[in-house]
Amino acid sequence: MKLSELGVGQKALILQAPVELPVKLFEMGCLPGEEVELVFAAPFRDPLCFRVQGTLVSMRRELAELIPITEPHDA
Amino acid sequence: MTPKRALRVALIGRPNTGKSSLFNRLTGLNQKVGNYPGVTMEKHLGLAKLGSNTLAEVVDLPGVYSLHPSSDDERVVLNALTTTSEAERSDVVVGLADGTNLKTCLFVFTQVLDLGFPAVLAVTMVDEMERRGAQLDLPALEAALGVRVVPVNSRTGLGFDELREAIGSAKPSKQAPFFQPAGAHLPWLQKKQECIGAGLTYRAWLDGLSDPEFAAEVRESGRSPERARADEAIQRYRWVNQWLRKVYHYDPVRDRRAAARFDRLVVHPIWGSVLLFGVLFVLFQALFYGSSAPMDAIDGGIARLSAWLNAALPAGFFNHFLTSGLVPGVAGVLIFLPQIALLFLFIALLEESGYMARVVFIMDRFMRPFGLSGKSVVPLVSGTACAIPAVMSSRNMESARERWLAIAVTPLMTCSARLPVYALIIGLVVPNAPWMGISLQGLTLFGLYALGFAAALAGSALLNRWVPQQKSAPFLMEMPPYRMPIGRNVFTAVWTRSKSFVVEAGKIIVSISVVLWFLANSGPKGLPNFSAEYEPMPIEESYLGSIGRGIQPALAPLGYDWKISVAIASSFVAREVFVGTMATLYSVDGDDIAPVRERMAEEINPSTGKPYFNLAVGVSLLLFYAFALQCMSTLAVVVRETRSWRFALLQFAAYAGVAYVAAWSAFRFISYLTI
Repeated sequence: MKLSELGVGQKALILQAPVELPVKLFEMGCLPGEEVELVFAAPFRDPLCFRVQGTLVSMRRELAELIPITEPHDA
Repeated sequence: MTPKRALRVALIGRPNTGKSSLFNRLTGLNQKVGNYPGVTMEKHLGLAKLGSNTLAEVVDLPGVYSLHPSSDDERVVLNALTTTSEAERSDVVVGLADGTNLKTCLFVFTQVLDLGFPAVLAVTMVDEMERRGAQLDLPALEAALGVRVVPVNSRTGLGFDELREAIGSAKPSKQAPFFQPAGAHLPWLQKKQECIGAGLTYRAWLDGLSDPEFAAEVRESGRSPERARADEAIQRYRWVNQWLRKVYHYDPVRDRRAAARFDRLVVHPIWGSVLLFGVLFVLFQALFYGSSAPMDAIDGGIARLSAWLNAALPAGFFNHFLTSGLVPGVAGVLIFLPQIALLFLFIALLEESGYMARVVFIMDRFMRPFGLSGKSVVPLVSGTACAIPAVMSSRNMESARERWLAIAVTPLMTCSARLPVYALIIGLVVPNAPWMGISLQGLTLFGLYALGFAAALAGSALLNRWVPQQKSAPFLMEMPPYRMPIGRNVFTAVWTRSKSFVVEAGKIIVSISVVLWFLANSGPKGLPNFSAEYEPMPIEESYLGSIGRGIQPALAPLGYDWKISVAIASSFVAREVFVGTMATLYSVDGDDIAPVRERMAEEINPSTGKPYFNLAVGVSLLLFYAFALQCMSTLAVVVRETRSWRFALLQFAAYAGVAYVAAWSAFRFISYLTI
């Protein structure tokens, strides 16, 4: 499952860090093993805003489509 | 030991950690805004008193998540720390950490410590931290980091005495390094260390990974530069998480639920749009109407000053130069201040409260195809009032590329100075009749607004495609929490912006006004008579008139006679001058539109025997003024913002080219249809 498929309010863990992702993402705290929650989404579900390590990080859907996550668990 | 120069202090931290609040607290209004060489990033410098007689120069570096640059804009931070220039080098680093979110803030701070800088960590938002029940074991954090940690409150000034003292006595961390590159990296690190002659491994690490020419050598370690950076991120966060668990306790679940509910409302397709539209509407109204009273007051004051000078001074050259050249030139600068101050007040409130990040978030999908970020809605909307504050407002954009794109296209928006010209021409050539129940004149005006907006977006999309992209940051933005704006920050933003406009763009505007005054008041036949019985030189006899006549053959294909050409030449100052010049040329008293329009309607084209201002000439003129950058103040502000005369002149030429082609095509096409 990919990060882009998460529903609003759902949480999951980041599985791994593919090479093609911008390193900035890791430096902002989005690392394998961390919990992510889709907090809110813009109209048309793009961009998306996630909570990771206590901060809200927003990214475009094309980027979230590259990030593998575990099955979501609701809050 | 007395230092030869003031202590140089660099502020480093993630965005939204209260860095500018701390900077404003430390330096007061002792600050100036400059630019980093090569990039259009703002450089904030200020002076701070550390003790009774120690002065420090403080640099507020752009907010970053890591010292590794992800874009050219972010490179300035690394450069500021690793420069070998003695005059630019920082002596002490103050790291910032948001007390309500320490984790990700410590990442970049431990990087700074690994560079061996004497450093202090300032923990901001402590009031919020306490209110939410977060607990921080200061001594334990200090022991872990090996440097002083000072909690501060930029609203009240609490902790600043201690911070100043800690800056003065800052030492490198005893606990560094916090990250050690794996053994496989040692060969290239050694090589890099020899190249740059630096002792510390981490310095070589930072340098080597951001140097594209060194990438091949880094790869020999078995890791790409990007992978190596990712490895570092994993290691550092592991350290931070391990330590924070021991020293920092914070369980924000309840606050977060409420904030998330509010955010879902703010970005809601309907309620979010209503809110955004409302905010932009108020912004536009404030710029358009709220600034009119202070602008009238400035206008009136200047008129009284001119009249007083005129009466007090003996008639003659000097009198005329002062009252018609210099004073109106200065007035031309001051007149923009209410709009600039209002716009920056709005922007500061939007930025400080955290709403601006949500605007960027909502608008991103719509602005993306044009190469612009959501933030560019502010310059574009403000541009419908006046391009001058609008171009200045692009300063709040983080990406240099998006910033220059916004500057390049914002003057295409239909500003209020175009309205008198549009009113004159539309009234002249568009019948005052309804078409399917809609006023044709109103429809034309609406069409011109839509044209300006479409041209700005199309221009940006074209430039975005044509101009090769440098390394740009991916769209990754942190959403700051909602916060009450700090009055001091809002005031400082309004003050420094207004000041830099008056001082820097003002210089250019006054100089050009004086030159234009000279061109309008002297001619090939010599200087006018400036004695007591002074009579203004007829504009057609002045140099400006000669220029207008000179360019008339070039403008003839657009359908313009010499009078229009002279009015175009003189309205380089500002578009609305067109109306005044036409009034003068047609010997109509005053600047009111109606009498000029009546007189112009009577003008007969000698070659056709029909009214000169027909639909073809009118539409040609409307399109010319829609596109041509007939505003010296906008050009002055563009020069100031881009630090480049080349940019401004290219922009002027490009706008003129589009205006010419559009006006010419319209004139030919409509003439062909109607004759």
